[in-house]
Amino acid sequence: MTAIYIQLVVSGLLLGGIYALVSVGLTMIFGVSRIKNFAHGDLVMVGMYLTYALTTWTQLDPYLLVPVVTVALFGFGLLLSFALIRRIQGAPQVAQIFATVGLGLVLQNAALMIFGADFRTTNSEIAGNVLRFWGISLPLSLFIAFVVSMAVIACLTVFLRTSMVGKAMRAIAQDRRAASLMSIDVKFIDMLTFGLGTACAGLAGALLVPLYPVYPTIGANLVLISFVVVILGGLGSIEGALIGGLAIGLIETLSGFFIGSEMRQMAYFLVFIAVLLFRPAGLFGQRGSETLGS
Amino acid sequence: MLEVRHLTKRFGGLAAVNDVSLTLNKGEILGLIGPNGAGKTTFFNCVAGAMQPSEGQVLLEGRELTGKKAHDVCRAGIGRTYQIVKPFGKLSVRDNVLVGALNQTRNVADARRIADEALELTGLADQRNVLAASMPLPRRKRLEIARALATGPKILLLDEVMAGLNPSEVELAIDLIKTLRSRGIAILIIEHLMRVITSVSDRIVVMHHGEKLAEGAPSAVMNDPKVVEAYLGEGFVAQD
Amino acid sequence: MSTMSTPSPKESIARRLAPVLTLLLLASLMALPLVVTDTYSLHFIWKVLFWAAIAAAWNIAGGYAGLFSLGHAAFFGLGAYTSILLYMQAGVSPWIGMIVGSLVALCFSLAIGLLTLRLRGSFFALATIAFAEVLRIAVVNGRDVTGGSEGLSVSFAPGLVNMIFQDRASYVVLMAAVLFVIGATTLLIERSALGYSLAALREDEDAAEALGIDTIRVKLIAIAISAFLSAVTGTLYAFYILLIEPTTVLGIGFSVEIALIAIIGGMGTVLGPLLGAILIVPLSEYLRAEFAASLQGLYLLIYGTILIVMVVFLPNGLISAIRDPRSVLRRVRRRKSASSRPEEKADA
Ligand SMILES: Nc1ncnc2c1ncn2[C@@H]1O[C@H](COP(=O)(O)OP(=O)(O)O)[C@@H](O)[C@H]1O
Ligand SMILES: [Mg+2]
Repeated sequence: MTAIYIQLVVSGLLLGGIYALVSVGLTMIFGVSRIKNFAHGDLVMVGMYLTYALTTWTQLDPYLLVPVVTVALFGFGLLLSFALIRRIQGAPQVAQIFATVGLGLVLQNAALMIFGADFRTTNSEIAGNVLRFWGISLPLSLFIAFVVSMAVIACLTVFLRTSMVGKAMRAIAQDRRAASLMSIDVKFIDMLTFGLGTACAGLAGALLVPLYPVYPTIGANLVLISFVVVILGGLGSIEGALIGGLAIGLIETLSGFFIGSEMRQMAYFLVFIAVLLFRPAGLFGQRGSETLGS
Repeated sequence: MLEVRHLTKRFGGLAAVNDVSLTLNKGEILGLIGPNGAGKTTFFNCVAGAMQPSEGQVLLEGRELTGKKAHDVCRAGIGRTYQIVKPFGKLSVRDNVLVGALNQTRNVADARRIADEALELTGLADQRNVLAASMPLPRRKRLEIARALATGPKILLLDEVMAGLNPSEVELAIDLIKTLRSRGIAILIIEHLMRVITSVSDRIVVMHHGEKLAEGAPSAVMNDPKVVEAYLGEGFVAQD
Repeated sequence: MSTMSTPSPKESIARRLAPVLTLLLLASLMALPLVVTDTYSLHFIWKVLFWAAIAAAWNIAGGYAGLFSLGHAAFFGLGAYTSILLYMQAGVSPWIGMIVGSLVALCFSLAIGLLTLRLRGSFFALATIAFAEVLRIAVVNGRDVTGGSEGLSVSFAPGLVNMIFQDRASYVVLMAAVLFVIGATTLLIERSALGYSLAALREDEDAAEALGIDTIRVKLIAIAISAFLSAVTGTLYAFYILLIEPTTVLGIGFSVEIALIAIIGGMGTVLGPLLGAILIVPLSEYLRAEFAASLQGLYLLIYGTILIVMVVFLPNGLISAIRDPRSVLRRVRRRKSASSRPEEKADA
C-alpha cells in the first residue's frame, strides 16, 4: 500500500520538475522585463508540435531532437521579442495583457490550422521503457524530463550568478533605470531574456512530447499552471519557481488520486486563489512585491 | 490640531523616519526641512495614510488617524500634494480638480463649482480646459495644490511644491500659501529653498537621517550649529 | 478621456448632444425588425447586439474601472445557468430567473472583488481566470444538477412568460433593449461622481486615494454593475439559443472574446463595444462561412492578430480613430521615433 503513496509522491515531484522548467521561463521574463506573458503556455505547445513534426519528418527519436527544438525556440523567442514584446515594454497594463493574449490566440489557431484539433502522440524508443524500484514503476520519459529540467534550472541559476549577461539580467531585475544608467544594454538583455524564457518553454515542450499528446489548446492549461507556480514561488524568483513547480506537481497528482482526475485542476486553482489571498507576494517572494503587478 | 507622536517608519533595516514627534497648530505654517533623503516625504506618506507607520501615532484634533487608509485621512480633513506630481494626465485641469472636490460633495455640478473656485485661487482658471498631461511642471505643481485644496482640507501637506519654479513663480506660490493660511488652513510644508521656508514658516522642524534634529523659530533654527553642520555635511548651504 | 474636457463652446454643444444622440442611436436599434424581416438577417443582427451588449457590460469593469477581467464568462454563465435551472427545475419564469441569476453573479463578483481587488492589474486578470475556471470545472463535474459537459437544453415552449418566442424579431428587440439599458447605465456612470472617480483611479490610484476616493469601494461598485449586466445578457442568450454548455458559456475563450470586442471598439467609451461588435461579428461570420471547412481556426487567428495590432498601435480602440483620425497617424509616427527613446521613467 505504501508503494502507491511513494509512487504518487515521486511521480508528482517528477511532473512538478517539468512545471518548474516552464515556470522558470515565465518568471525570468517577468523578473527582468516586467512582462507577464499570457502566451507562455502556447510557446510550450509550439515546442511540442515542433518536436512532433520533426520526429514525423525525420523519423528520429524525439530525444535526439530536443536540442534542435530548444535552439529553434530560442530563435523564435528572439523574433517574437523583436517583433512584438519590445513594443509593449513599459506600455500600459492592458496592452501587455492583451497583446500576449492575442499572441496566444494566433499561435493556438496557427497550430489548429496546420495540425488540426486531433491529439497527436509521438513514440520514443527510449521513452517506452519503465523504471522499477522500491516497488514502484515510472515511465523513463518522466524521469528523463525531470533530470533534464533540474539540470537546466541549475545551469540557469549558475549562469545568472556568474556570467556577465546573467549579472546584467539581475541588475535590470533590481532596478531598470539604474541598470540602463550603468550602460547595460537593457533592450538587448530584454530580448535575450525573452529568448531564454521561450527556450525553456520549448525545451519543456520537447520533453513533454513522449509523455502527453499535443493539441492546440494545451497551452491554456500550462500557462495557468505556470502562473500558479510563479505566484506561489514569488514573482521573479527562480528558486521559488522550482519549489512552486514541485509543489504544484505534487498537489496535482495527489488530488488526482484522492479526489478524482476531473477535480485535479480545481485543486491547483484553489491553491492559486489561496496564495493570491494570503501571500500575494508568493511563499518566497518579498512582501509588498505584489504591487509590481501594477 | 495635528499631533504626530514618536512616528517611526522602517524599510527593511533602514529607519527612514525615526521617532519623530511634532505638532501643527491651528492657522500655523510649519516648515519641514532637511537634506535629501532625510525622510521628509516618508513622514508625509505616513501621516497621509499612503504608508503605514511602523510605530507611533497620528492624531487630528485628538482623533486617532494612525494606520487609516489614505482616502479616510483625506476625508478627515488632511489634503496632500506629491513631490513627484501625479496629475490625471488624460483629464482636463478642471476635471482633475473636480475629482478632489468630490470629497466634499457627491453632486458633480457642485463639485465643478468648488473646482472652479480652487482654480481661481491657484491662478489656473484660464487653463481649465487643458489636458493635465500637456501642462509644464510649474503648472502641474500648482494643479497638485488646487486638487488638494478642492478636497476642503483643514490641513494641507505640501511636499516641495516650489521645486523647479522660477523666482517670480516662487513669489506667487508664497502668496498662495499665505492666502490659504488666511482662509484658516493649517499648513505643513516641505521645502528645499531655505529663503522660502524661513520667510513663510512660523516654525521650523529640521530632519536629518530620519530623526528630528531641531525645532523652533526660523531664525533660531538657522543659527543652530547642529543644523548648520548637517547641511554643510550635505553641501547644502551652497543651494541658497 | 477626451469626452471629459471642454475645449471650446462649439464642442461643448456637441458634447451636450452626444449622450442624447447615443441614446437615440441605441434606442433605434430596437426598431431594426421593422426594416429587416428575414430569419437569417435577424439572427445576424441579434448576434451583433448580443456581442455589443456583453462587451459593453465588460467595458464597465474593464474600460471604466481598469479591471481587466478575463473571467467575465463566469458572470455571464451564472446568469445563464441560474435562470435555466430555475426554469427547468422549478418552473420559474426566466424574467424572474434573470433577476435572481444577475444577483447571484453580483454576489459572486463582490466575493471575487473583496478577495482580489487589493491586487493590481494583471494579478486581477489572473485571479478572474482562476475563479471562472473553478466555476467551469464545478459545473462540468456537477453533472446531476448542471448536466455536466453536455450542458442543459430547454425545450421550445413559446410564450412571453417563458421568454421564448416564435419569431426572431422579439429576440432582437429584447437584446436591443438590454443594450440600450447597458449603454444608458454607462452614460450615467460616466457623468456621475462614480465616473469621475473611476477616471481618476484609472489614471493614478495613489493620487485618487489621496483625494479621498475609496478606490476599492469604487472598483467593487463597477465590477458589481458589470457582473449584473453580464448575467442579464447570459439569461437572454440562454433563452434564445436554448442550449448552454460549460465550454461555450464558461470557457476562457469566451471571456477573451468579450474583452477583445470592447478593446477593438474602444474601451472606456459608450459606443466602443457596439462598434467593435459591428466590425468583428460580420468578419467572423464571413471567415467562418468562407473557410470553416478548409481552415478552421483562421478567424481566431485573425482575431488574435487584430487584437495585437490594436493594443500596440491603437490602444484606445477604433472609436478613437473615428473621433480623431489624425491622432492615429501621430501615434504611429511617435511609435517609430519611440524606438530610440530611453527607458520609461521609474517611479520614485
Ligand atoms: N518605498 C520605499 N522603500 C524603501 N526605501 C524607501 C522608500 N521610500 C523612501 N525610502 C528611503 O527612505 C529614505 C528617506 O526618503 P524620503 O522620505 O524620500 O526623503 P526626503 O523626502 O527627505 O528626501 C531614503 O533613504 C529613501 O531611499
Ligand atoms: Mg522628498
